[in-house]
Amino acid sequence: MSEHAAPAVKPADDPAFQLPASLRGLQMPLLGGGLVALLIGMGMAFAVSDADMPRFGMSAYLTAFLYVLTIVLGCLFFVLIQHLVRAGWSVVVRRVAECMMIMIVPMAFLFLPILFSVFSEGALFVWTDPEFASKLHLDDKMWENKKLFLNAPFFVIRALIYFGIWGALAVYYWRGSVNQDETGERAATDRMQYWSGPAVMAFSLSLTFAAFDWGMSLAPMWFSTMFGVYIFAGGILAAHCVITLLTYLLQRAGALKEEVTPEHYHDLGKYIFGFIVFWTYISFSQYMLIWYGNIPEETEWFYSRQDGGFGYLSIGLIIFHWLIPFFGTMSRHVRRRPGMMAFWAAYILVVHFIDIYWIVMPEARVVETHTVPGFGGPLGILASLLCVVGMSTLVIGLVLRVAGGNRVVPVRDPRLRESIIFENI
Amino acid sequence: MSLAIPNGLDNTVERPGERAPLVLGETTYHDITEAVCKVAERPPSKGWIGGFLVAFALLQMLGLLIVYLIYTGVGVWGNRAPIFWGWPIVNFVFWVGIGHAGTLISAILFLFRQEWRTSINRAAEAMTIFAVACAGTFPGIHVGRAWLAFWLAPYPSLNLWMWPQFRSPLLWDVFAVSTYGTVSLLFWYMGMVPDLATFRDRSKNKYRRMAYGILCLGWSGSSRHWMRYEKAYAILAALAAPLVLSVHTIVSFDFAVSQVPGWHTTIFPPYFVAGAIFSGFAMVLTLMVPARKMLNLEKLITIRHLENMCKIILATGSIVGLAYGTEFFIAWYGQVPAEQFAFLNRAFGPYAWAYWTMVSCNVISPQIFWFKKARTTPWIIVVVSIFVNIGMWFERFVIVISSLSRDYLPSAWAYFTPTWVDWGMLIGSFGLFFTLFLLFCRTLPVINMAEVKATLAKQEHMAHLHGHGEEAAEGH
Amino acid sequence: MSETKIETTVHGMMAEFTTVDSLLSACRRIRDAGYTKTDAYTPFPVHGIDKALGIKPTALPWICLIAGATGTCIALVMQIWMNSIDYKYIISGKPYISLPAFIPVAFELTILLASFGAFFGMWALNGLPKFSNPMFTDPRFDRATDDRFFLYVDASDERYDANGVRNLLADTGSDYINEVVEDDSPKEVPKPVFLIWGLAVAASLVPLICILTMRVTNSSKPRFHVFFDMDFSPAKDAQQVTSLFADNRSMRSDVPGTVARGQMEESLDMLTGIDVEALTMSDPPRVQRLVRAYMLADDEAKAEEKEAVEAAEAAPASVMDTTPWVEKNPLTVDAELLAQGQQQFAIYCSVCHGMDGYGNGLVNQRAQSINAPTWVPPASMHQETLYADKYPDGKLFSTISNGIRKMPGYAGQIKLKDRWAIVAYVRALQKSQNASMDLVPESEKAAVEAAVADAKAELKRQAEEAEKAAAARKQTQS
Repeated sequence: MSEHAAPAVKPADDPAFQLPASLRGLQMPLLGGGLVALLIGMGMAFAVSDADMPRFGMSAYLTAFLYVLTIVLGCLFFVLIQHLVRAGWSVVVRRVAECMMIMIVPMAFLFLPILFSVFSEGALFVWTDPEFASKLHLDDKMWENKKLFLNAPFFVIRALIYFGIWGALAVYYWRGSVNQDETGERAATDRMQYWSGPAVMAFSLSLTFAAFDWGMSLAPMWFSTMFGVYIFAGGILAAHCVITLLTYLLQRAGALKEEVTPEHYHDLGKYIFGFIVFWTYISFSQYMLIWYGNIPEETEWFYSRQDGGFGYLSIGLIIFHWLIPFFGTMSRHVRRRPGMMAFWAAYILVVHFIDIYWIVMPEARVVETHTVPGFGGPLGILASLLCVVGMSTLVIGLVLRVAGGNRVVPVRDPRLRESIIFENI
Repeated sequence: MSLAIPNGLDNTVERPGERAPLVLGETTYHDITEAVCKVAERPPSKGWIGGFLVAFALLQMLGLLIVYLIYTGVGVWGNRAPIFWGWPIVNFVFWVGIGHAGTLISAILFLFRQEWRTSINRAAEAMTIFAVACAGTFPGIHVGRAWLAFWLAPYPSLNLWMWPQFRSPLLWDVFAVSTYGTVSLLFWYMGMVPDLATFRDRSKNKYRRMAYGILCLGWSGSSRHWMRYEKAYAILAALAAPLVLSVHTIVSFDFAVSQVPGWHTTIFPPYFVAGAIFSGFAMVLTLMVPARKMLNLEKLITIRHLENMCKIILATGSIVGLAYGTEFFIAWYGQVPAEQFAFLNRAFGPYAWAYWTMVSCNVISPQIFWFKKARTTPWIIVVVSIFVNIGMWFERFVIVISSLSRDYLPSAWAYFTPTWVDWGMLIGSFGLFFTLFLLFCRTLPVINMAEVKATLAKQEHMAHLHGHGEEAAEGH
Repeated sequence: MSETKIETTVHGMMAEFTTVDSLLSACRRIRDAGYTKTDAYTPFPVHGIDKALGIKPTALPWICLIAGATGTCIALVMQIWMNSIDYKYIISGKPYISLPAFIPVAFELTILLASFGAFFGMWALNGLPKFSNPMFTDPRFDRATDDRFFLYVDASDERYDANGVRNLLADTGSDYINEVVEDDSPKEVPKPVFLIWGLAVAASLVPLICILTMRVTNSSKPRFHVFFDMDFSPAKDAQQVTSLFADNRSMRSDVPGTVARGQMEESLDMLTGIDVEALTMSDPPRVQRLVRAYMLADDEAKAEEKEAVEAAEAAPASVMDTTPWVEKNPLTVDAELLAQGQQQFAIYCSVCHGMDGYGNGLVNQRAQSINAPTWVPPASMHQETLYADKYPDGKLFSTISNGIRKMPGYAGQIKLKDRWAIVAYVRALQKSQNASMDLVPESEKAAVEAAVADAKAELKRQAEEAEKAAAARKQTQS
């Protein structure tokens, strides 16, 4: 139908498939800078911790950790779902997602401080505080029951299971894809497709419970069945943004100039738009049901996010996480311009941080006296930002390192050609 | 030419890098027209007449039961304190759920560029509209004074001097279901216009030609028209996709905004939507597997189409299973006694039989679709999809009945027993559904010919390109 | 153009193709040759033909956006106005303007109107429905919706030249080229269509006409009740019979052993009008009976008491005389109580006893006028035997409650405190008939005297007026 014969795929050793030297040179500065920023940020965060906000330091760390983790898991899910539905269009951007996905391995190490914090009473999760039940005058029997789940050893076992699942999936799909670069065997694609179904199931189950463990249990008396979906919605949105942004940067640096076209940005843009709506849908439904039901044990969580500065953040999330990007990415003219899509991707990565901050930080306050949660002053805000910037930079440095050792596209994927010539409807 | 699948051609196998054909055999555009138009043009078969008579009889039964109900009052149902919602609402949610597959296939799969949707979207959309019609019947007669149901609309009434209550989820339902019905109808009709033009141009009979000519609005196939048409179709798809999600979300709000134990849980919106897609696809399969055989459409609705739908059933069934599990876990984790009781009561109380029927039909039976053999064997597909339909009906039964029958006040507990009218109306609603569906098969294009032809064109184009690619690769 | 020598108007030239590729290459050639008024007709949307023909994109998305935004605004304004301004009421503790609760409907209306925008906008932009099209004159064009592809060049194109176009199209490999001419098929619609249409319209008017007829005409027949039990509720009214109970009464008495709210808050003295402490000395069994009847709501005991009293009445010393009655009204007598008593007296007592208490109420007047044989004239309140010293308050209360001679007991109709209020009012009534000005406090005297003078003046004026009127009537009659 088209006027010209489709372009041929370049050979696997083409420089367009290598990480450009300009980015390669950034590895060490990013790694070093990220680590320093993270350490300084942590130091400042612990300095901000006081009687009103005893858990500020670890909470700032958890915010940064969950921010990066949700993105990494989003990328893992992206890769799994592309295999599950035998997607063709996404092959040119899949390696970027795979590089992010394999970051689950360093994330496991970055989890260690949180893992240790549950053995230090009340350092991060209030349920580790042995006095918690008596401080809140909770019913003993009920608290005993809750502790069957919320106790340090079981928490550690669960964390090991989650990272075990994610690590196994990430490594399996990473190896499969990278090995195919060398061998080019089609059967590798078949194998990965074959396992993608169970993989997605294991992923959703572990993500749901990880969200309960690391996000919901910050407020141990609160519960929402949708919380796992909520965390997933933010993560998958941010993952698409990170893929867009990194692909754009790669192209700016000189790689994949001909392979990634506005068609791919257009498609990624559609997904970003769609997941903005999905995030809004999930967070609105969660709020709506709790607001309407008006049952004290559930509304508590939103009450502490209406107090103080967090009230403004709540309104801010509606405007900045939904309204502005919704209209911003609505038009196909925007989606077909790589620069514009890169801007919106970066923008959403910022608001995704606000979302995670809004989930974690209000719980750093003293629970038993119901103090108004705060940001910890300018220093506290700076500390939180340094933590997240530091950890993200560190991870980007590692991504560049991994990408530098491999090609930036699955060069022998059988669907690569389909992806290159892909056109939207 | 024969329309049987040529031996040795299995389009469920897909080599990575090549796309399996969705239209089988040496099919031409004209073959597609012939195959689809013949369904409506040839005289009705004995099977069709028999089926229609049965369905029409059941529809008459539904009509008579509604007259009986309105004349006598809602006491003829089994709805008793404290279970005032009873079967009518179970049936409503059941049918609305089934009505989700059509627009999902048309809209969401369209946005995801799933070309296999083209062979099944027309019938699925028709099903959507008929299922919404069935669904709308039940709340309409459940309001008690059905002739005053228009009070639900916000019109300036000189008798009432008041407005509807927009803070009630039941009113949101009115808006959601009627919007959904309207938009689905527009979408269905719009998609059908080019095919109605085909019907017009094939008509030998003057009046038939005139009727289809009016229905297709004078469609000529102009490229300018096609361009705007495709744009409008894409926009409608983009609008219908969130609409589909919103409808069952709002239906779930009916339950979840309340404080009834077992209803008030935040997972309800996505879980209801997944359940709706699940039941909708099951109904599509239940109908399409026999229909493709009887209507000789096996080349267009291939095993691959069935397999894809089975995969969606497996996926959504597992999501539903995950939601069941999450609910149980949070009921325990939340440590709210009423919630804990509600869930224990579901699984081990007087309705345990319904609960375990639901779990085995919805969660366990679709797991057979992990096996490719099961996904590609028509009779297994039909059996499982019927199980899923039963299971999804029971899901709504469990939610509505078990929570209402035992809530906070033990002195008000009761056991729900349906009356013969309840049974009759449930069966009668199937009569309505099948009557409409059978009439649709005889009068309107059951498959979207224009889109299937476009798929065929693309398939040929890709095969052509692929040939080029192979040559190019060998050139290196 | 006129070379074809066909009298009908020529609209342009069309060429038939059998494959998408041949059509596309023909489109490109026509475009490159400079033709702009061209169109292609295909059975399905052909990807890339808009570029090949140079078709501009459509404004449809903007129409949808505007329609959708209109939907949002309508929904929000409607909900806020209806539930928060025009008809305010609080439901489940939610504020009048509950934005979260208004979002679902706002969303639905946004989608609905945007969909209307897409649907109707598309047809409007396409100029459809348009049932007649010159293209349809060629029978081969029927396959444009089946498997053939047509390219069309309009005659109004600047470069149009029949031979040139024909040659160009032939050059692109088309095997069928024809001129598109004006449709000369009969314009009139077949008659049966009108017949069916007319019948349908007539049939659809029947219900409307029926309704209108009913609205404007009168009928002597009773209204037709579709839902009989909704118009006439099967629930029983007071005093009706029912087959549900053995005694056939639809009104039910209290369940034995139960007391209605607000009925056991008073002492036995107040309930019976009897000084129970004194009665304990003289007649302990009766006290027991009274306790059972009044405090334990035992209907049997009530019946026994009634029998006992009736039996004893015949005895030389009536039980009415021997009972130690309460001497003083247990309620505080003040203006408010008297007003209450006056009101109750006017409602229940005055029909027989008269507003002034002389025993000449309307019922009595009527009974006298028809000489009712069994009529016992009601007692006047103004006989000395009924004054407080002879007829204590408790006895009067008991009479009101239980009745005397032909007078029934009013305990069932008049509330307890109202009965005591009537007692107080009757005492005031008795006093009013032979009261002297000395009883009036100094401060009120002037006002009372003025009122008396006013009343006298008014009576006099009325008498004079009546006289004048009588005189005037006489004059006119004569």
